Amino acid sequence: MKPRASLLLCFSVGLASALPAVAHHSFPAQYDINKPITLTGKVTKVEWTNPHIFIYVDVADDKGGVVNWAFEMGGPNSLIRQGWKRDSLKPDDVVTMEGSLARDGSHLVNARSVTVDGRKLFAGSTGGDAPPTPAK
Amino acid sequence: MPHLFSHRRATLALVTVAVTILSSSVSAPAGAQWVGYATAGVPRKADGTVDMAAAAPRMLDGKPDFSGIWTAGNPAKPKEGGDVAGNGNDIGSSRYMANMGADMKDGLPYQPWLVPIVKERTANLAIDDPHIRCLPDFFLRAYGLPHLLKFIHKPGILVVLDEMNAGYRQVFTDARALPKEPTPAWQGYSSAKWSGDTLIIDSIGFRDDTWIDWNGSVVTEAAKIREEMRRPDFGHLEIKVTVDDPKAYTKPWTVTLKQRIVVDAELIDEVCLENEQFVKRMGLEAKEKASAK
Repeated sequence: MKPRASLLLCFSVGLASALPAVAHHSFPAQYDINKPITLTGKVTKVEWTNPHIFIYVDVADDKGGVVNWAFEMGGPNSLIRQGWKRDSLKPDDVVTMEGSLARDGSHLVNARSVTVDGRKLFAGSTGGDAPPTPAK
Repeated sequence: MPHLFSHRRATLALVTVAVTILSSSVSAPAGAQWVGYATAGVPRKADGTVDMAAAAPRMLDGKPDFSGIWTAGNPAKPKEGGDVAGNGNDIGSSRYMANMGADMKDGLPYQPWLVPIVKERTANLAIDDPHIRCLPDFFLRAYGLPHLLKFIHKPGILVVLDEMNAGYRQVFTDARALPKEPTPAWQGYSSAKWSGDTLIIDSIGFRDDTWIDWNGSVVTEAAKIREEMRRPDFGHLEIKVTVDDPKAYTKPWTVTLKQRIVVDAELIDEVCLENEQFVKRMGLEAKEKASAK
């Protein structure tokens, strides 16, 4: 079957749940769901590993330079079940990544969605586990 | 064989993750077909969906067979579409995942020494959780975490495989006595006997400070845990858990954990230490080294 039109893959994380976004680790300790960010650039590296896949993307900054950002995704098992393969994203693919910024100001994002133009279907999740918002 | 990318499969509501696919898909390669391999012996309705209320299968000795792949059935968020079989794309987590005492009016009955510890662990968002450090998940906790469990059940033994970290647990049903002086073990020691169609599992021999939820509630070496496990129908497991741990709790407490069947799915590698980055990125290694000096 030939590839269909490109898709916007959204994996909304923790929006309507009492629990914050899913992760192997503590999402709220590392990321701020109130700091959404969207970046477009070229993939430089794909770490197809457990417990989380990492996609690295070169993004142009406002000074004419390029900054390499890291995007944390779900684990291979959850993405494989959604139809991902190890080579679903490759270096030099142009992607638009949306997610939540890391609290420490580093170039790190917990990814919520991946958009790739003119490419085959991508589907993914950040299926995992995370602690709740602290009890009041 | 089910097409991995069908629209029906494409739109799924996860307990804490929603995946929306705006267009259709490509065919699955052979490797992916292994992942969605059709489970044998699944009772189905006329429309092809799993008959969750069908009779539970039985082993050759006539006892209920708990075999199958299971996911949390006490959902943190009600599943869209109702009570249907999982397929691996909708792995759920339990509302007890965060707090095993979620449905208790006053919460778990902690001993005074444990109260500030749980409070600190809750406040720091479980930053010291052994799960984050890729250590084995305790079986009580595993029932509620969003990782598949595969039960392999035959007369004499029930083996539980945990997709997370290739973990396992053995429940012996051959009437063996529990060990008298057990060396503490990550899953303890379990021996079980049948009472009608309910499997009564008694377990001891746990490690101190064994986490049972994200709040950092624990069981200790002193704990005795009884699970009364039954499969009322094809699609469900019910596990009434009683924890008697006078070192950690002022009185025994009980919670009923549930599991929902998952079909047409298989375990996939999820080995945490492969590339765990949270500890390093949060600077926890450096902090731990500094405090160890």
